[in-house]
Amino acid sequence: MSSRKKWTFGLLLILIAAAGGWLFWGQKQGTALTIGVYAGSYWETPDGNCYQILDETIEQFEQTHPGVQVEYASGIGTDSYSEWLAEQILQGTEPDLYFVLPEDFNLLVSSGALENLDGLMAEDRDFDPAVYYGPCLEAGQFGGSQYALPHESVPTMMFVNKTLLEGCGIPVPENDWTWEDFFSICQQVTDTGARRFGVYGYTWLNALYANGASLFSEDGTACFLADPRIEAAIQFTRSLNELNSGYTVTARDFDLGHVAFRPFLFSEYRAYQPYPWRIKKYTGFEWDCVCMPAGPDGANVSELHTMLLGINARTPHKLLAWEFAKLLSTDEQVQKKLYAHSVGISPLPDVAEDNALLEQLYQDIPGSVRFSREMVGGIMQNAVAAPHFSRYEQAMAMAQQAVAEGKIDKSSLAAAQREINIYLSK
Amino acid sequence: MKRERNLLDTARVMFLLNLCILLFYTVVCLTTTQRVCASFGAYDFLLSIGQLPPRPWQMPLGALGFYTLLCVVSFGKYYLKTEAFWLRLLVCLGEIVLCLGVTVSLRFYYSGIALLVLADLVHYVRNSFYRTGFMAVLVFIFAFVRFDILTPGGIPFSAYLGYYSHTVQGYLSSLESVMVCLNILLFVLYMILLFTSERRENVRIQKLNRQLNEANTQLKEYAVELEHMTAMRERNRLAREIHDTLGHTLTGIIMGADAGLALFDAAPEEARKRVEVIAQSARDGLNDVRRSIKALRVDALEKHSLEEALEGLLENFRLTTGLEVEYAQQAGELRFAADEEDTLYRIVQEGLTNAVRHGHAKRASLALVRQGETLTVTLQDDGEGCAAPEAGFGLRHMQERLGMLGGSLTYGSSRQDSGYGGFMITASMPIREKERKS
Repeated sequence: MSSRKKWTFGLLLILIAAAGGWLFWGQKQGTALTIGVYAGSYWETPDGNCYQILDETIEQFEQTHPGVQVEYASGIGTDSYSEWLAEQILQGTEPDLYFVLPEDFNLLVSSGALENLDGLMAEDRDFDPAVYYGPCLEAGQFGGSQYALPHESVPTMMFVNKTLLEGCGIPVPENDWTWEDFFSICQQVTDTGARRFGVYGYTWLNALYANGASLFSEDGTACFLADPRIEAAIQFTRSLNELNSGYTVTARDFDLGHVAFRPFLFSEYRAYQPYPWRIKKYTGFEWDCVCMPAGPDGANVSELHTMLLGINARTPHKLLAWEFAKLLSTDEQVQKKLYAHSVGISPLPDVAEDNALLEQLYQDIPGSVRFSREMVGGIMQNAVAAPHFSRYEQAMAMAQQAVAEGKIDKSSLAAAQREINIYLSK
Repeated sequence: MKRERNLLDTARVMFLLNLCILLFYTVVCLTTTQRVCASFGAYDFLLSIGQLPPRPWQMPLGALGFYTLLCVVSFGKYYLKTEAFWLRLLVCLGEIVLCLGVTVSLRFYYSGIALLVLADLVHYVRNSFYRTGFMAVLVFIFAFVRFDILTPGGIPFSAYLGYYSHTVQGYLSSLESVMVCLNILLFVLYMILLFTSERRENVRIQKLNRQLNEANTQLKEYAVELEHMTAMRERNRLAREIHDTLGHTLTGIIMGADAGLALFDAAPEEARKRVEVIAQSARDGLNDVRRSIKALRVDALEKHSLEEALEGLLENFRLTTGLEVEYAQQAGELRFAADEEDTLYRIVQEGLTNAVRHGHAKRASLALVRQGETLTVTLQDDGEGCAAPEAGFGLRHMQERLGMLGGSLTYGSSRQDSGYGGFMITASMPIREKERKS
């Protein structure tokens, strides 16, 4: 063997030994599972110790998975979380498992950052998708595949200014009220001279869910803007606005107690209704929360916002990440702690409709407890999750622009629908 | 030599330039990612590219790693100095794979590495078939392994440039196109240098070839002349010999016979003595003729017996051409008349020469069989054989020689059962008993 061959051979041996050593060392060090998590509450409500439940869950997970170390970076606020996550993705250091804000879900899935969970779900015998409320699970679906597990859901509800209604001699509407009731109350309340208005922030999108319609098909290939039910929703919101005879109602008007209704997230009700928040939030009036009014072709249905848990598509620890996501999402003990601590509703019916838990939750809320076990179940089961597909944002913007431009007669809506369909079919 | 150095220098500049281009792409992608993140633009950037960018360290690690290996293989192969076909092919394929590795690592933003490898391989590969093949593959890589063709939905390089102001964008894209163009120009320069140097080499070889051909022709002319001269000399020698021996003797015999005729009646006794003298000088003359003929004989037969001469011939063939001859002598004692021995020797010699020269035989068998007064020589070989041989000079010569002695020659393919698949000649000739006795 020539000396050159000896050198080459020696170099190869050293390389193989180094690679082997590195692998062995890596094995010995154990596995580190990283989690992306935001600080505070996403639902714009105060949150005292946001990491407590996560820490407890991590401890539980590390005990059942020896050798695994779960880590997360703390102190990332909800407003900077999306940016932080995008930075991690660009730099290739994104966590193995991370919370997905509802508005980021589309981007993360269409850019391929989230792992398709269909395979993991099918292979895992312990996992049963039926433990979730249907709409919660649907919130993590994209193009027919599951990309994220629901962690916590919040439906849109209608806030009611009880003081104002009582002043007008109108009772607070029941949970099964309709557009007719809604419109007649607004009509009775509105008095532009006395700066009293019916509703603030109620759009045709809120209305169309309550009228049993859907703007897009599930797979995102068709738009139904010219659907008569959607047309009715648009006309309904338009007639509500016309009550104000040209005045544009603002959020400040509501805060000052001049407006009877305002769509709001259920989380705010849970966060601010108990003492002392109740007094701090709105000083001038008593308030409550009811379901969204039902349209002629629909029910008291509202849109559901769901915080999701997604697995990094590039993680080497797919199974571990899946195990941890499953623990956070489907473990009843974890979900119960979360339900008690946070302000949303658990995606698990067994937790969300737990009588003991519900009683404990609403004991601070004065007056009649409107949210019985059946009520919560009804809201969650009938809530609507907006469909997810890659052109959703642009298509939605096109539809909103068409309506904002006043194209609300049948033929204009049909024309706008055609335009959006052409965009979607590209 | 100077031209060779120019080529090497051009190649080095190309390697350096391509390194700069790789660094340009990797540095722009890396720093842009860092700057995007530092300026809180990550979400918008992700939204604008709409897909997961590869991890930022992958591009520099992959591109520079593969490029370093490519440099090692490219420069190392001249130190290796191997002529083994498979090793050389492996080096070429390795370079192409590494070229693809660099291009893929650069996310197909740049395929000019193919030109670098093409220049390198065109210089390295001399076989025109492989050279054309590699050229086709690399030109294909250069032309079609591009971002816009292979990954139309991928993240274009312009997405990274888009982060900067228009002025900086302008500078960066001009720098990019200048370097890419420079690489193409260097490639063209390299090819021009290479092909002019090859053409000069070809012209030089052609000139040498012409000189060699001329020398060869001259040599042939000399050979023909020499043959003429030798024949002339031989003819003169024969004439002299005939004049000195046969002429002399015949003259003596004629004179003796004339004198004998004159004395025949007057002195019959004297005439008888003269006739005896004539007979003696005729015998002497015959001896002289024999000696002369002997002087023209095969050298080997002059010094040795036919037996020894044949064995020497076979040994000689084995040593010079490697032909192994199986020799079966079943003809008893090999002592024949000189012309018969000559013919026999020449047939064996010519037959073996043909087996080696035309049949490229490795083994042959020679059998001498005597049946009564007929001697049969059978020679077969394992060479290429010939289904319908045309009698050339050698075979015709053998036939003529045998014809003069009343023999015959047959030839054709060997019998399959003989173990020799090549050519076979069989010569038979009658042996003159009288001569043998003498």
